[in-house]
Amino acid sequence: MKKNNPIIAIVFWSLVSFLTLFPIYWLFVISVKPAVQLFSTPDVILSDPYWGNYAKVWGDRLLRSYMVNSLVISTGNALLCTILGFFACYALSRFKMAGKESLFFWTITNRMAPPAVFLLPLFLLMTQVYAVGDFRLLDTRIGMILVYCTFNLPFAIWTLRPTLDGIPKELDEAAYVDGASSWKVITEIVFPLCRPGLAVTLILTWVFAWNEYLLAATLTNFNARTLTTGLSEYVTTTGTEWGIMATISVFTLIPALIVFGLVQKHIVAGLTFGAVKG
Amino acid sequence: MQSNRLGWILLAPTLAILFFFGVLPFIYVVYVSFHQWNPFAADPTMIFNGADNFRKIVFDAEFLNSVGVTVLFVLFAVISELVVGYILAQAFMKEFPGKAIFRTIHTLPLIMAPIIVGSVWKLMMTPSIGIIPHYLNEWFGITVNIGTSPVAAFATIIIMDIWHWTPLVTLTLIAALVSLPPDPFEQAQIDGANKRQIFFHITVPMIAPAVVATVFIRLMDALRTVDEVWMLTGGGPGSATRFVGVHIFKEVFPKTNYGYGSTISVIVLYLTIVACWLLYVTMLAPRSKKD
Amino acid sequence: MNTVFKLAASALALSFAAGMANADDAFWKEAAAPYQGVTLRGVTESSPPSLYIREVLAPQFEELTGIRVDIETTSWDQMFDKAIKDMEAGTGIYDMVYIEQDIVYSYLARDFLTDTTQLLADNPALKAPTYDEGNFTTFADYFRGENGHLYGIPMEAFIKIYLYRTDLFEDPEIQASFKEKTGRDLAPATTHAEYTEIAKFFYEYGQENDLQLWGATVQGHTGHPASWYEYVETVAPTFGIYNWGIDADNNYAATVANGGEMNSDTAKEALQWWLDLRQYAAPESNQSTWTEVGTTFGAGRAAQGLVYGENAGWIAADDTKSLVVGKVGVALPPLADGVMAEVEGGEGYIGYYDGGAFGLPSTSKNKEAAALFLEYIGQNEVQPDWAVAAPRVTNTATYDDPKVQDMNEELGGYYDMLRDKGYLFAGAPAYPFHAQLREAMAPTFYSILTGDSSVSDGLDKMAEIAEATLTELGYRK
Repeated sequence: MKKNNPIIAIVFWSLVSFLTLFPIYWLFVISVKPAVQLFSTPDVILSDPYWGNYAKVWGDRLLRSYMVNSLVISTGNALLCTILGFFACYALSRFKMAGKESLFFWTITNRMAPPAVFLLPLFLLMTQVYAVGDFRLLDTRIGMILVYCTFNLPFAIWTLRPTLDGIPKELDEAAYVDGASSWKVITEIVFPLCRPGLAVTLILTWVFAWNEYLLAATLTNFNARTLTTGLSEYVTTTGTEWGIMATISVFTLIPALIVFGLVQKHIVAGLTFGAVKG
Repeated sequence: MQSNRLGWILLAPTLAILFFFGVLPFIYVVYVSFHQWNPFAADPTMIFNGADNFRKIVFDAEFLNSVGVTVLFVLFAVISELVVGYILAQAFMKEFPGKAIFRTIHTLPLIMAPIIVGSVWKLMMTPSIGIIPHYLNEWFGITVNIGTSPVAAFATIIIMDIWHWTPLVTLTLIAALVSLPPDPFEQAQIDGANKRQIFFHITVPMIAPAVVATVFIRLMDALRTVDEVWMLTGGGPGSATRFVGVHIFKEVFPKTNYGYGSTISVIVLYLTIVACWLLYVTMLAPRSKKD
Repeated sequence: MNTVFKLAASALALSFAAGMANADDAFWKEAAAPYQGVTLRGVTESSPPSLYIREVLAPQFEELTGIRVDIETTSWDQMFDKAIKDMEAGTGIYDMVYIEQDIVYSYLARDFLTDTTQLLADNPALKAPTYDEGNFTTFADYFRGENGHLYGIPMEAFIKIYLYRTDLFEDPEIQASFKEKTGRDLAPATTHAEYTEIAKFFYEYGQENDLQLWGATVQGHTGHPASWYEYVETVAPTFGIYNWGIDADNNYAATVANGGEMNSDTAKEALQWWLDLRQYAAPESNQSTWTEVGTTFGAGRAAQGLVYGENAGWIAADDTKSLVVGKVGVALPPLADGVMAEVEGGEGYIGYYDGGAFGLPSTSKNKEAAALFLEYIGQNEVQPDWAVAAPRVTNTATYDDPKVQDMNEELGGYYDMLRDKGYLFAGAPAYPFHAQLREAMAPTFYSILTGDSSVSDGLDKMAEIAEATLTELGYRK
């Protein structure tokens, strides 16, 4: 190992961290400024913070329900995508199914669609086709969980495939020889070995779902509205409520930060993307 | 080895969901793309017009312009993210105090919603009052106005994208670098190879799969960028940042041009798939065959 | 927002108190009896008048009638998309949709809306004694169909006016300096040349004194239709170019060659005047929509400006958001020679009369209950508190309310102007293709703003695009 001067590294990283943190810091500054001060000459240093926006956002019954919806939808979607993605990748990696590589690529293409134009058919399907009696999928949490699969499931499959490919087939085969069932092999042998990859997939799909805006804005109305759609309520013809928007943004960051913090150590281990020694 | 039936059973839920929420809408969009349909036209019904929309698109200067700026944006953004991400990943390979904290800080932009990123950058970049133009002017006498300068607007969007997404690239490259076996490097040093030779002949080939996989994800996502740009410039000044995503958005939302908007989407999706497919078969598929 | 909610809360208390004594309670309870358990759903833009409906009028109505009202508030562009998707697909999600004045013709052309006049005539049991179409100001006429029936209950109405800073305009030193420089007295401009002169004067005044002050606001966003709106709705009419320069009676002609005016010399002069103003306007004007224009003025960064009436309220009176409270005067926009005579003679208009109504989609499954709610928000009785919370007037009687009179003082006489001069202003032309045509022309318009096209070439091209688009849409034969 080479000898490095830690001072240089620390100075370098402090600089990079400053650039990384500044916009986030600025978001916070906006959230604690009264509206009247926002459009005067900007001060870098924060003085005399104003917490009125936080009181307002926290006291807003609707925003609290949006927060719950966001949590349920992104957690449900991330779990669903990670588990289904794991099963799918296991199948793609272990079986010699005809056309499986094309199938693999096809699943990924679902993420490439420009979303704007797909809103209309999704709206029609979710109001008229995916409906039983009075129940329709539009504006439901389960509906959003399923819709988000269109971009998160491909991502999960894309990140998990190398992980699954990296686990030697001999392990499964040895277990089968010992008389283990398929279910047991998948859940008790392969699954634990994939943990880092699964953790990363879980967190990144969670973040993508948590941050999604356009689909949620169109496909929810009252019951399943998410925090990001709550943001758009503050862009109005009589002025954008930047302070409130920034405060909501800070609130959206907190759960994301917690979830990210929890799996931080797995992230690097999980993002192997085919660099595994095979 | 078990039967393929189990494989299909494991794949079934994935395929079912993608069929009901991906394929069916896609079929609908393809169907609409062969029609003239604007609910606020004199005739608001769907009128079949064959391949007219597809013929029109070839001569549609606005659409072609949007494809041009998108490609430019994707090239600049993804390459910059790759370079910056690699430098940062290499920097993380060394041990130094506070590494874990710095790494956590570096991942923070990833967790921000694009619509929030766009809002923050808009406030930071508002001509004259935003903190960046304000201090650039006060300290260096440079005037930056994303409302008048296409270059400033375009550069801001690229910097914003780099800020937002480089962490993803860094993380995946760290993962790749961590898992590199030490032997080839030691051998090369013994053989007297210089840094450049080691980089091009050993490091690059070994991390190539991870690089390509990352580029693939970024490429896909950058091509559909809408939220940030919508918040920051709305596609302006002029059409300087009217990326295809924004263009389609304007075509189907305010203009309610469902027919032609669908055609554009089908074409854009097709071009994206082709670009990604080429990347996939040339860079990734050969490697997995070797395995 | 602060004030809105404070006012809303007090208004809530007041109206409950008033409600107790109201003899008409019996009507609402009886009329609503068949609709117990119904939940009405509406979609609207999250503007202060709509928030007042969500926070005050809807709960009040539920208290009185037992009918629950959920109001979804969202952003301007999302709102249209959601309402249109629902009505186009016939889903029946919404029982009430916000109709901005400029989209009503599109909705009427598609029979998206219920004829409320007919509905109430057919169901006498629903007709509230306190509701009368005759109570509305003339703004309601924009929501009438060809049969003269009302298809939307007006809920907000504003005019886009000329705001100026009274503290600057009335400062003796500034007045003297202005007189010295220009040879005339400083007063709100009545002509375009005067307006530019004042803009230039205050621009220089700001520069010389190192102030964050500029000569005018310009709603000049280079990638958002707000700039196009300012030109066609606010600037062009003051030069005598009405209805976007399109002649609807002449096969929707736009080019001069075909009998339109979009690229006439006057239109070019109007656009050039407006573009030239930008050199004296605050630097953010190239990124300004209606929102930022209000913010710029409210932050005290402009000496004068053409500002939407919905922003005049908070700029003049809300000290949590505005730095110029009590320093705002209102005037009519500057006009070219002969325009006022033309407008008084019944042809054309001098500026934009905007606002919106709540309509009842034809696809609603709760039309009767929704009609009750629309009548409720259309009553004279609920108007004054609403006008105080979110400055808008839709009923004639509202002007005379003492609370609204006080507000009028605070707003520098804005309500007086709305009442007395409102007839000089007009809403968007009766085009069923409003947003479609706007978006087709917008990119060319932006290229004029960025200087990629000259004014003359740009307007020529815009007029051609307008005709081509109208032909494609099937309106121009």
